[in-house]
Amino acid sequence: MAAPLPDTLLAPGVAVPAPAGAAARRRRRALAPDILIPAAILALIAGGCFLWPLVYPVPAPVGGSILSAGLPPFSPGHILGTDPVGNDILSRILYGGRVSIEVGLAVTLIGLVIGGVMGSVAAYSGGIVDTVLMRVLDVLIAFPALVLAVAIAEGLGPSELHVIWALSFFSVPAFARIARAGTLRLHGQTFMLAARLSGTKAWRILLRHVTPNVLPQLITFGLLGMGVIIILEGALSFLGLGIPDPAPSWGNMIALGQGTLSAQPVLVLIPSLFLLATVLSLNLLGDALRKRWGVR
Amino acid sequence: MSTSLLDVRDLAVRFRQAGRDVPAVNGVSFTAEPGRTLAIVGESGSGKTVSCRAVMGLLPPSAVVTGSARFAGTELLGLSENDLRRHRGADLAMVFQDPARSLNPTMRVGTQVSEAIRSHLPLDRSAARERAIELMAMVRIPLPRRRYADYPHQFSGGMRQRLMIAIALACHPKLLIADEATTSLDVTTQAQIMDLLLDLQAQLGMALILISHDLGLAASYTDDVIVMYAGGIVEQAATRRLFSAVRMPYTKALLDAVPRLERPPHSPLPVIGGRPPDTGALPPGCPFAPRCPSAADRCRQQAPPLLEHEPGHRWACWFPCENGDPG
Amino acid sequence: MNAGPLLEARGIVQEFVVRDYGGVKGGVVHAVSGVSFDLWPGETLGIVGETGSGKSTLARSLLQAPRPKSGSVIFQGTDLVTLRGRRLLDARRHLQMVFQDPFGSLDPTWRVVDLVEEPLIAYRIGDRPARRRRVSEVLELVGLDPAAYARRRPRELSGGQCQRVAIARAVALSPALIVCDEAVSSLDVLIQAQVLNLFEQLRGELGLSYLFIAHDLALVKQVSDRVAVMYLGKLCEVGPAESLYTDPLHPYTLALLESIPSPDPAAGRSSAHTAIHGEPPSPVHPPSGCRFRTRCPRAQERCALEEPQMRTLAEGHSVACHYPLPAGASPRPAASAAVPQRQPGA
Repeated sequence: MAAPLPDTLLAPGVAVPAPAGAAARRRRRALAPDILIPAAILALIAGGCFLWPLVYPVPAPVGGSILSAGLPPFSPGHILGTDPVGNDILSRILYGGRVSIEVGLAVTLIGLVIGGVMGSVAAYSGGIVDTVLMRVLDVLIAFPALVLAVAIAEGLGPSELHVIWALSFFSVPAFARIARAGTLRLHGQTFMLAARLSGTKAWRILLRHVTPNVLPQLITFGLLGMGVIIILEGALSFLGLGIPDPAPSWGNMIALGQGTLSAQPVLVLIPSLFLLATVLSLNLLGDALRKRWGVR
Repeated sequence: MSTSLLDVRDLAVRFRQAGRDVPAVNGVSFTAEPGRTLAIVGESGSGKTVSCRAVMGLLPPSAVVTGSARFAGTELLGLSENDLRRHRGADLAMVFQDPARSLNPTMRVGTQVSEAIRSHLPLDRSAARERAIELMAMVRIPLPRRRYADYPHQFSGGMRQRLMIAIALACHPKLLIADEATTSLDVTTQAQIMDLLLDLQAQLGMALILISHDLGLAASYTDDVIVMYAGGIVEQAATRRLFSAVRMPYTKALLDAVPRLERPPHSPLPVIGGRPPDTGALPPGCPFAPRCPSAADRCRQQAPPLLEHEPGHRWACWFPCENGDPG
Repeated sequence: MNAGPLLEARGIVQEFVVRDYGGVKGGVVHAVSGVSFDLWPGETLGIVGETGSGKSTLARSLLQAPRPKSGSVIFQGTDLVTLRGRRLLDARRHLQMVFQDPFGSLDPTWRVVDLVEEPLIAYRIGDRPARRRRVSEVLELVGLDPAAYARRRPRELSGGQCQRVAIARAVALSPALIVCDEAVSSLDVLIQAQVLNLFEQLRGELGLSYLFIAHDLALVKQVSDRVAVMYLGKLCEVGPAESLYTDPLHPYTLALLESIPSPDPAAGRSSAHTAIHGEPPSPVHPPSGCRFRTRCPRAQERCALEEPQMRTLAEGHSVACHYPLPAGASPRPAASAAVPQRQPGA
């Protein structure tokens, strides 16, 4: 006979001892390794991609000389070597990383804002508004993302911006679902009724009550989702539907490196490793925050 | 050497939480006898539920349990999960507060009762089914044969609690622990369930432990009472005696704070301030001293021991009440 | 000031549609089926009822959250049922509510000061410094030191403290009537007593009236001037608290009185199994005629055929029953102002 376990150790009637040292404890908890390490790795990668070329001269990622093609790692002047066309790999990693991160961030933010608002408003309003918004989202979900990406790439030409559009079709409904579920769960809470009875207007309730309560779920979902977006961008670029040659992205670097996999495995390995590190860190950070914030 | 069915001595429970040790129960001793009902009374955080769960072995791994809990001579603390499982249901059973969460909503109720039976008795499915229907009749569920195939959501709260009792009694345990089993029920349903429990106790000769914060319940339905505060026992006596000669100021405060039908409307409730203490950060001396109207310096410096000051009546207080008045 | 009732409820009906699988209408829950009562300025009216009685639904209907299906709620002379939007908000300003779950009624991401300020902002009271002053004032009134508590969040408060914050929020707009929906039921005994005393104190200091809803008759009787007993969506009996106790007229009231276990062992065990039997019927299919008849030991044929109407049998004491109890049917010793005596010794 499975028994429910005691869920609180302190009585609900016992106040957690207040502020003396609570602020210090909060600071120490924010620096806990499960958050600090992935965050540091992400900061390092992002910082490297965006800032390194600004402070330290790095060869251009395109237009390399054929004379310095195929150099192995640790060659002078090219710490990670060069690719078959002579481009410096480190430089391509950094500039390619920019693209991956930009796409990941942009798609996530678009999803968070547009999807989040749609979902919350739909759930809060209920009735016809809810139905209409949800059907619109159903249409968006029904689009197979990959086919859409192909269509956009074919029709408008592959580019970073088009990748972002295509992937947003994915992320907006996903965030909207999460926001809607979260808002519905809030609806039953007494404090929402209390807010309405206090006279607070609907938009203010959405902004000041619903948003802070639903945001942790959206953020943790966003972090986990960002990893997926970056991989998807990688896949699209790999298929030639994303960032066009010769501009680098981690995805198309892997695609290009495929051809010389046996001769120069580093061409695939290095971008893969960076991709792995980034996505893993995003996942770990997302999980740690989810645990910290008690999001289900 | 005691001949009690359940003999708990110096039971203490600590929880390991984020590197700290949080004590929940500090050295509690009590016994349960067949055919008698014991009430364990206290507010939230007093340790009453944790104590009984420790005896049943239902605490999470972060709990460190010390002391002894002997059931018919066998030590229960420290038994392996397998051994405990053999005792649970057959010897000891527990009924919890919220039947909605204790019953599996996707399983038919009859099946849940049968399963409980078959987990201890070597009966085949149809024999177990018959027995389950008998049990459901015993707990006064109307039309048990027809309702055997119903799901929990088709029953009212009171009925669900009866089902929980049926499941708990499936293998005729010798000790039944009811943990706030009637707290979420209506008062009329509570009266029915309590009558049922006592009738079953008389029928089966069980020992019954009632955990509750409701003093009225304890006074009306039990033989012996233990009052717990901040993880320890502060007063212990036979029910009649305790309620007619309250000694511990905390118990008196509890009694005074309960709304009574006999009091006229708008009569102010005698109240003491403050809140139950954090058992992890108890001040020296008596844990009740910060809130006690009779507290003196001695109370704040030295914790009073639980002693049998009068035959059959134990309390832990330096300045106990006399005849209902504060000492 | 007009001398009429502060709140007049007339024929309140509230129903909910139960959706079966697939969204098909499965049945209607008759949560409140024609409830009428008056509440006078300065009085506390208690409403006691068990699960399924509809008392919480009634409370919310009074506040128009949601509006009752039919009936009128005349508060300070205006029928709230006929109002919408801003006009409803204005009319409802002096009617506030305190809920059962102390933690659930406060937004966990807000601080105490913001929680208490919220109604002041919604009703555009004063400017920010004036509002903050009012918040401090009101926190002190409920026994919470503003300096220590204003910046805390609900998770840093105990249940009793959260309830005090909820009360502070309710009192901020200087209401005339506060509806307490099981406001102390989730609190421990000693904390419950503290909060009840706070209610009494505020009643005196601020001249408040209360509609006090609970399932505990002893609790309701302790705080109320008059008590109404509710069963399955209808009022059974309404009368002065003391009269309800000494001379209950409705068999259900008697059953409630007998079921309450007393902390006085001299009172003996309650004989509840003679007073009431069976299970509460479903509010989707209430019994015909008198709704209590399926559990009433005094039920006759007439009870199934004809629904009893509320009629006044004594001063201020009315009952809806075909066969009300004779006078003095109370199961307990006659009320005295003293707490029961304790005998020394065993």
